[in-house]
Amino acid sequence: MAEGPIVSFRQVGKTYPNGTVALTDASFDIRRGSIHAICGENGAGKSTLMKILFGLESPSAGQVFIDGAAADTATPDFAGKHGIGMVHQHFSLVPILTVTENIILGHEPRSSIFIDRTKARRQVVELSERFDLAVDPDARTDTLSVAAQQKVEILKALSRDTRLLILDEPTAVLSPPEIEELFNRLRDLRAAGMTILFISHKLHEVRALAETVTVLRAGKVVGTTPLAEVDDAEITRMVMGRDVDVPRRQRQTTSAPVVLELAKVSTRSHDPADRIEDISLSIRADEIVGIAGVDGSGQRGLVSVLSGLMHPASGSIRLSGADMSRAAAPAWRKAGLAYLPADRYAQGGTASLSLADNAIAGTDGDKALQWGPFLRRGAIRQRVQQMIADYAVRAGGTGERLDSLSGGNAQKLIAARELAGSPKLLIADQPTRGVDVAAAALLHGRIDQAARNGAAVLLITADLDELLRLADRVLVLFNGRIVADLANHAGLTPAALGPYMLGLEKAS
Amino acid sequence: MIEFFQAIADPAVVATVLRVMTPLLLAALGVLISDRAGVLNIGMEGIMLSGALIGVLVSAATANPFLGLFAALIGGGMLGALMALFINGLGTQFIITGIALNMAALAATTLGLFLATGDKGMSGALQSGVLPNIDIPLLGGIPVLGPLLSGHHMLTYVAILAVPTVAIMLARTPFGLHIRAVGSDPKAAAAAGVSRNRVQFHALTLSGVFGGAAGAYLSMGYVSWFAQNMTAGRGFIALAAEVMGMGTAWGTFAAAAVLGIAETVAITMQTKGLPNELMQMIPYIVPAVMLTVYAARRQAKARSNS
Repeated sequence: MAEGPIVSFRQVGKTYPNGTVALTDASFDIRRGSIHAICGENGAGKSTLMKILFGLESPSAGQVFIDGAAADTATPDFAGKHGIGMVHQHFSLVPILTVTENIILGHEPRSSIFIDRTKARRQVVELSERFDLAVDPDARTDTLSVAAQQKVEILKALSRDTRLLILDEPTAVLSPPEIEELFNRLRDLRAAGMTILFISHKLHEVRALAETVTVLRAGKVVGTTPLAEVDDAEITRMVMGRDVDVPRRQRQTTSAPVVLELAKVSTRSHDPADRIEDISLSIRADEIVGIAGVDGSGQRGLVSVLSGLMHPASGSIRLSGADMSRAAAPAWRKAGLAYLPADRYAQGGTASLSLADNAIAGTDGDKALQWGPFLRRGAIRQRVQQMIADYAVRAGGTGERLDSLSGGNAQKLIAARELAGSPKLLIADQPTRGVDVAAAALLHGRIDQAARNGAAVLLITADLDELLRLADRVLVLFNGRIVADLANHAGLTPAALGPYMLGLEKAS
Repeated sequence: MIEFFQAIADPAVVATVLRVMTPLLLAALGVLISDRAGVLNIGMEGIMLSGALIGVLVSAATANPFLGLFAALIGGGMLGALMALFINGLGTQFIITGIALNMAALAATTLGLFLATGDKGMSGALQSGVLPNIDIPLLGGIPVLGPLLSGHHMLTYVAILAVPTVAIMLARTPFGLHIRAVGSDPKAAAAAGVSRNRVQFHALTLSGVFGGAAGAYLSMGYVSWFAQNMTAGRGFIALAAEVMGMGTAWGTFAAAAVLGIAETVAITMQTKGLPNELMQMIPYIVPAVMLTVYAARRQAKARSNS
């Protein structure tokens, strides 16, 4: 076996055709026979790096060396040629096929025109015994538990003379005992000479499993270091970035009445992003409560129960004193909810409809815009033009399609619609994701203004600068629970939030 | 009851059932292959109609019915391939593509018939051939069983033998595995290196070959001429048969047999003086009723599971 690193990234960069810079100047080595962790926030460039290594995308700069030789990336069967297997976060198993069929799919052993079923089954049994991953080769895949399906996925990745196994957030779908079991199997694989690349943003898992960690932030490699040489605080600082202080919002009063109150609210769902447990929180008028947490920690579940898209399995929700636990979406709207969804083209508006249609959606019954069953087109145009002017939306006219606008301008139009009138409760979910600086500043001003006008605001954001800029109070979600409830003061930094977001600490 | 069984064992009745079942079975197996690959062949009716005309024209031109059959198979396969090119190459929606093919085929076959014969209704003026019946030696000599099993149309035997062939193809060959994988979860299949476009192209082409055979049977076996719109909805009944067969070859065979019996009953009743129009509804009502019963049972089952 050759010496030296199995994979070396040298000045690897990736710029997508639309101008998004996903990765710049990434250089690091992966040592043969080690478990190497990749850490970083969402959007830090982890998945781009994996796609390049798995041969799905080619780098726009730099080179990848495999066994010391420059490799031609993004060629068909790149992964197969170099013995690279990948276990995706979302499994790629065909539900109606058996375990054996899924594992051999694409490289079936044959005898004449038929699949050699005896040989196929023997391959799977051998594979399963060799790596100590017990599966029933004849079971239909969709009858298996998630943990068992993951074993099948791993066996499938190992079935083609694999030397390097990539696991993308493999623990997200597993329970703690299943995670321990998985880690034991991965350690066995390492002992057998396998190199494993482990992607996670849970620091204690990285520490439990890996010898070396590479931290990515904003498309750059912050550092590659043996885990024995750094403490958690150091890694957290690498993941979150250096501390910069941001100007913070000032509340006018802290004694306004409570508008939204959740008591011990839980949801049931198989998807961790929808699962919240025992959430209690209250938001006053003129208060912005920010939610921090790595993606998929229960944010979507929280937003869903607060907009009537999902009902809590237990607990109570009150808005201005009225019980909203079983209220559907229209009732929430009637009670004064304004909502800026994370996906502005799918949930915020209708991509293929005009700006005017999008801007007046939800106003039915407004007498100023209707004449009997008909819409008053002139009045609508006037109102929408006013909205476009107020929110500085750059658009050709009210008849343009929503998806002809840039992300920032579309979001401004949706904000203009949602913040019209005076909402009692505003939910802003990633309000400035992918939005340019000027538009983000305008949106921040309007959200602040809505709070001053008496709205209770729930801000969910992955942008910690935005969080600290706007929120009066910060709650950190981890695994669907609130693990920290912190007043936002000048000393609070992204680095201080890190340990809570990564599940290292709890405080409330 | 005894009379009923006697009637069923009557070689003439069995022959009628097989006669009406053959085109349905061939077409339904073609639909099955496409459906399992995730692109239900809605264009089956049009492919059958085209196959029927191509068979007649080529057999008349060459005075060889086997060349006519061969041309019908090739033509059907090419139409299936054409659908795949539209659906996967140009991104058209498969239901619309199928409907377009059906409407185009009806017009094109009528035009083709007119150009070849000067008649828009029937191809009676053409000297087209008929594919032979097959007498199975030895078997034909056995009393009772012999007349039941021997002496049917060659495509009837082909259709029946195609049932286990398709079943084995789907279950035991790499191609069949790829069809099931792509039809169930194209993304997962792609992750394993199985191309959806390639598999669906092959599946629709094969589906078209079956449609061509079903069409050739209609114009070169069931009768010996081509008539305008002679498929009369059999392509759609085949779709229903495939659904009733719950996506398996043997289930499709059973469904095609039930529909064949229903149509035989309709034909028999017409000779007994019952109103024609009423009896002609039977082959269409049976699938409607069976699909309803099937859907209701599945819903009841889903309710009892949850």
